[in-house]
Amino acid sequence: MGESVAGVAANVAQQAPAIDVDFALIGHQECWRAAADVLAVLRGPEHPPLPDDEIRDIFPWIPPRAICHVEAGSIAGGKARGVYIDSFIPPDRLDANYMRDNLARVRGAAAYAIKAGAKIVSLGGFSSILIEGNLDQLPERHGTVFTTGNTLTVGFIVQGIKKMCALEGRNLRRSTLLIVGATGDVGSGCARCLAPVVKRVLLNARNMERLRTLAAELEADGVQVEIATGLQQFSAEADVAICAASLASPSLLLGRIAPGAIVCDAGYPKNLSPSGQMAGAKIFFGGLGQITGGLRFKPDFQGILNRHPFPDVVHGCLLEGMALALERRFEPFSQGRGFITPERVEEIETIAARHGIFLAPLYNADGPVEDGVECLAGWSAG
Amino acid sequence: MEPVIDLNCSLPSEGTFLTPFALIWQDILAQAMTGELVAALNYTALSTICDDPAEAADALEHAAGEQGHAAAFAAEGRKIGVDVPNNVNAKHWKRLREAFMRRIAERDFIGCLIVQEIMLESFAVASYARAGKVAPGSMGRTFASIAAEEEEHIEHAMAILRTERALDAQRFDDKVHGLHLEVMTTLAEMLARECTHGHCEVCHDSCVKPSLSEVSLTAAELRGASLRQYLKTLDMLGLPGEVTLAWVSQLPV
Ligand SMILES: NC(=O)c1ccc[n+]([C@@H]2O[C@H](COP(=O)([O-])OP(=O)(O)OC[C@H]3O[C@@H](n4cnc5c(N)ncnc54)[C@H](OP(=O)(O)O)[C@@H]3O)[C@@H](O)[C@H]2O)c1
Repeated sequence: MGESVAGVAANVAQQAPAIDVDFALIGHQECWRAAADVLAVLRGPEHPPLPDDEIRDIFPWIPPRAICHVEAGSIAGGKARGVYIDSFIPPDRLDANYMRDNLARVRGAAAYAIKAGAKIVSLGGFSSILIEGNLDQLPERHGTVFTTGNTLTVGFIVQGIKKMCALEGRNLRRSTLLIVGATGDVGSGCARCLAPVVKRVLLNARNMERLRTLAAELEADGVQVEIATGLQQFSAEADVAICAASLASPSLLLGRIAPGAIVCDAGYPKNLSPSGQMAGAKIFFGGLGQITGGLRFKPDFQGILNRHPFPDVVHGCLLEGMALALERRFEPFSQGRGFITPERVEEIETIAARHGIFLAPLYNADGPVEDGVECLAGWSAG
Repeated sequence: MEPVIDLNCSLPSEGTFLTPFALIWQDILAQAMTGELVAALNYTALSTICDDPAEAADALEHAAGEQGHAAAFAAEGRKIGVDVPNNVNAKHWKRLREAFMRRIAERDFIGCLIVQEIMLESFAVASYARAGKVAPGSMGRTFASIAAEEEEHIEHAMAILRTERALDAQRFDDKVHGLHLEVMTTLAEMLARECTHGHCEVCHDSCVKPSLSEVSLTAAELRGASLRQYLKTLDMLGLPGEVTLAWVSQLPV
């Protein structure tokens, strides 16, 4: 360990926090490579990395806990301090078979955040999906509030789509938009924001009843909507697609899609199967923002917890908690499923922008999608 | 190997047939029994450095309790027709015992509690609980009830240790770290998925670890459960979770 126990101990206190913890970020690792990197940082450079099979054996036994401190800076001046709490859900156990165990892990992580005295907690990735509807089962909260972070996520997805259309010279108004995972919190938020500005929307999810409800809501506003539980069932090809399904692994094959379509993969883990062939599709990873007022991790997990080709890029769900902490607005901004509206998106975007949190440069597995944008030295996907 | 403490282990009675897994359970019971006997020796030694006569009596009571656990494991062996050996001088156990005795020599009551109650008992509670889930019949119940008893008596030590930490958290945490390096390194070697440093001197023949899957256990799960229990116990004491995770992740595998 590079620093004395007490040095770190002074920061996160279990019983009485020695410093104010403004925010907590609850996350989990997307792939085994990321999990291995987290353990490598914890082991420190003086210890050789653990073999992969040992990592797969050890990781599932780690109880949820903070692994580092995070400091977020605002361009308006001021800082917010927080902790990143990993629920240690093994990357290959996100599916329904492990629901109970994963829920217990997220609850454990939430309890940890409460104990650390966090004023606002962002529920990253699957954490919000798992704990949604179970927040009342958490220990007494003493002023800790939870946000799914999905409103800012939706904002960045929508901004990304608009930017990509501009980069590609496409007219969004003439587009057919497909949303996979359309009835989810993120998917339905995207539908409400984008439906009024496209020609028509294709909504996909597995539950037909929920699709009908969402379609009725959009149609009431005069939007042309088609719904289907199978991606092959739509009558038209989409030329813009948002993938926001809660898939346990990148397994989505989009199938019928217009050549050269713009595709935003907003899943965590990613939705799109690496083996999916989409001729000329312009793919980018959506829902990501960049914090320009500075971001520090202690110990240094830079590039490990945020594995992106640009500095200080973080998922929108986590950034929402940081933005609200910088704003000193400790409120459950995003809660429940299906309540994200264009007005709320605008509100959180304004707060985020005030503190220098903007849409991140767009990229995909091959690197930046914009010409002239440099990626960090040594970055590689995965 | 010669058992150092004779707990009247009788040979299987005539007409008793060994189940196919009896020899695996024999080794598991031998480790458990050895651990209990080490604990009994440790508590007896602890009683000699207690200033408070009530604490001394408590330590002796614990020692007797651990002896009772060892006898219960021996009895479970007899029920499946095996003699359960023990060896408190087996290499890992000896090192663990020596670490404890160094604290005794320093009359370091708090250090003793940390080694025995936080480190060794975490291992015992977690591994007995796992064994309790899969061991057949009364053996399963014995493992489970001893796990529960051990967990219960940790509470008393926890109260003392929390009070101690409240006096000076930095000094306390540094002390735990020092003991962690000394004791948990040995425990981690014992718990490694494979014994790469030669025979443990407790298993009756070759290493039992590769055969554990035959009784629905694995070395990896016993290690994982033990380290998780250890981390949770340290959490309950108030040590920062990110620090203790770094310690644990640096242990040998
Ligand atoms: N980029 C970011 O910053 C960010 C932030 C938050 C969330 N996310 C990710 O976004 C995704 C969605 O999150 P959420 O909070 O909106 O989840 P959610 O509310 O649980 O919604 C999930 C949606 O996916 C659908 N779905 C699940 N499996 C499907 C399948 N096999 N095929 C088609 N649709 C399927 C669900 O409907 P049915 O059950 O009816 O199929 C539902 O519409 C997750 O991957 C999450 O991790 C990313």
